Amino acid sequence: MTDAPKVDPVFTQGELVAETYEIRSLLGSGGMGEVYEARDRSLNRRVALKVVRPNIKRDYLLREGRALAAIHHPGVVTVHTMGEHRGVLFLVLERVQGLSLDRMIDERRSRGERIGVAEAIDLLVSLADTLTIVHKAGLAHRDVKPANVMLAPGGRVVLMDFGLVLPHADRAGHRTVAGSLDYMAPEALTGHLTEGEAHLLDIYGLGVLAYELLAGILPFDSGDQTPEAHRAKTRSCPLLSTHRSDVPSPLSALIAQMMAAEPSERPQSAEAALWQLRALRGRPGNEGSARPFAVLVVDDDPDMRSALTLYVRAAAPDAEVETTGDGRHAIRSVRRRVPDLLLLDLDLPDINGIEVCMLLRGMRLGDSCMIVSVSARATRADVELLQQLGVRSLDKGPDLMNELVQIVQRMRPR
Amino acid sequence: MTEARDELQTLLAAARAEFAARLEDKVRELQELSDRGAWMEARRAAHKLRGSAGTYGFAKISAAAAVMEDVLIEAEPSPDEDARNRFAAALATARVASVTATREGA
Repeated sequence: MTDAPKVDPVFTQGELVAETYEIRSLLGSGGMGEVYEARDRSLNRRVALKVVRPNIKRDYLLREGRALAAIHHPGVVTVHTMGEHRGVLFLVLERVQGLSLDRMIDERRSRGERIGVAEAIDLLVSLADTLTIVHKAGLAHRDVKPANVMLAPGGRVVLMDFGLVLPHADRAGHRTVAGSLDYMAPEALTGHLTEGEAHLLDIYGLGVLAYELLAGILPFDSGDQTPEAHRAKTRSCPLLSTHRSDVPSPLSALIAQMMAAEPSERPQSAEAALWQLRALRGRPGNEGSARPFAVLVVDDDPDMRSALTLYVRAAAPDAEVETTGDGRHAIRSVRRRVPDLLLLDLDLPDINGIEVCMLLRGMRLGDSCMIVSVSARATRADVELLQQLGVRSLDKGPDLMNELVQIVQRMRPR
Repeated sequence: MTEARDELQTLLAAARAEFAARLEDKVRELQELSDRGAWMEARRAAHKLRGSAGTYGFAKISAAAAVMEDVLIEAEPSPDEDARNRFAAALATARVASVTATREGA
């Protein structure tokens, strides 16, 4: 939240909210509301309490709470509960400790330091991964910007402030101009959004964030301008590589694509952007030295292991492919070396593929690799759970080869 | 580029033919498992055949294996007579399809 005109806080220090939450301090306030740090007396833990000002519609907070409750992902702040105190609706959130990305950018800038390309790609991969999950839940964040990204301990990157979140299908809601001008896509200013394309606003915001992260400055000064002028500035924005020669041209091109004035010219999903970012991570020219494309195939059927290996090699002949039929062995293998791509059968004899995914995510081992489940009988519930874990699902069958080849090619452009 | 594509097509065709050559054995294994009432193993074997046959392009066998697997899952822990009959019918379909696939050299 940004600074706002001085108004009396909704809650006061020491106040006991709903007989449970003892207000400790005001963490931040903005035009719409406030966030407090509080102590949950029942569970003896620190939490964040979010409220909207009395003159703001309660819908914002309701929508945010419900959106957060629908998503379980390390990149999204956890909502504990929602309540009401003195007629004020409040949301109880996980208290995420860390440094916001806008402060990190400011601090680096003030020290005359630049963010490394590999570090930036890692951060963008985390955000694109989170947005993939948010969008798959049918939601658009609509306020992706550095101030809404928290860098927490353990390399966790958390997308905050879902106050403007809306379902993709809410056309009326998306016509309302909302967000932060510098990170706002041209179509958001006019409110002329095509149904089902609200997620492309987030991809634009991520593009501007990426630009600022690497260039240290915004791509252009939004100022007070008409939507037409904003669109024109977006079109004429200089390529990132003009500011930094060490940014690989595919990364510069991807960021420019994300910031395209026309929504149809942007990557059409956060997942597509994620694949491209992951593919860039291991490329020569980034700080991380190039290494062979590593794939781990986990399936208890030797015939499937052979087929999957063949399909991977069809798209990446130089790939290093390790195979195993055992889930526990797979976890040991990932511990030794995290592959770029993990192809995982769900129906394994010892621990099933979903358990393997949960263990890997829980141990933060699989964060840097793309996990694709390959199954002959995944249920809808399986697929939804896997989506929440950031895992893509493919079906065993005649289309498997083409789908897998496309994935590998996107990760590993030849 | 064309050479690499040709090589890949050759490899894919060889893998499919090699798989087809073992299809009858896989169906025979399912028969043996059901004959001795090893239903858990039969379910796993049917599951594997469902996925691999579908992936290698043997849709009929994959569909028959899917029926076998689903029947055994529904009837867990041990299939009754009706379930055994449905399993046997699907197995017979898979057997015919596997013979055809092997004869035609995939």
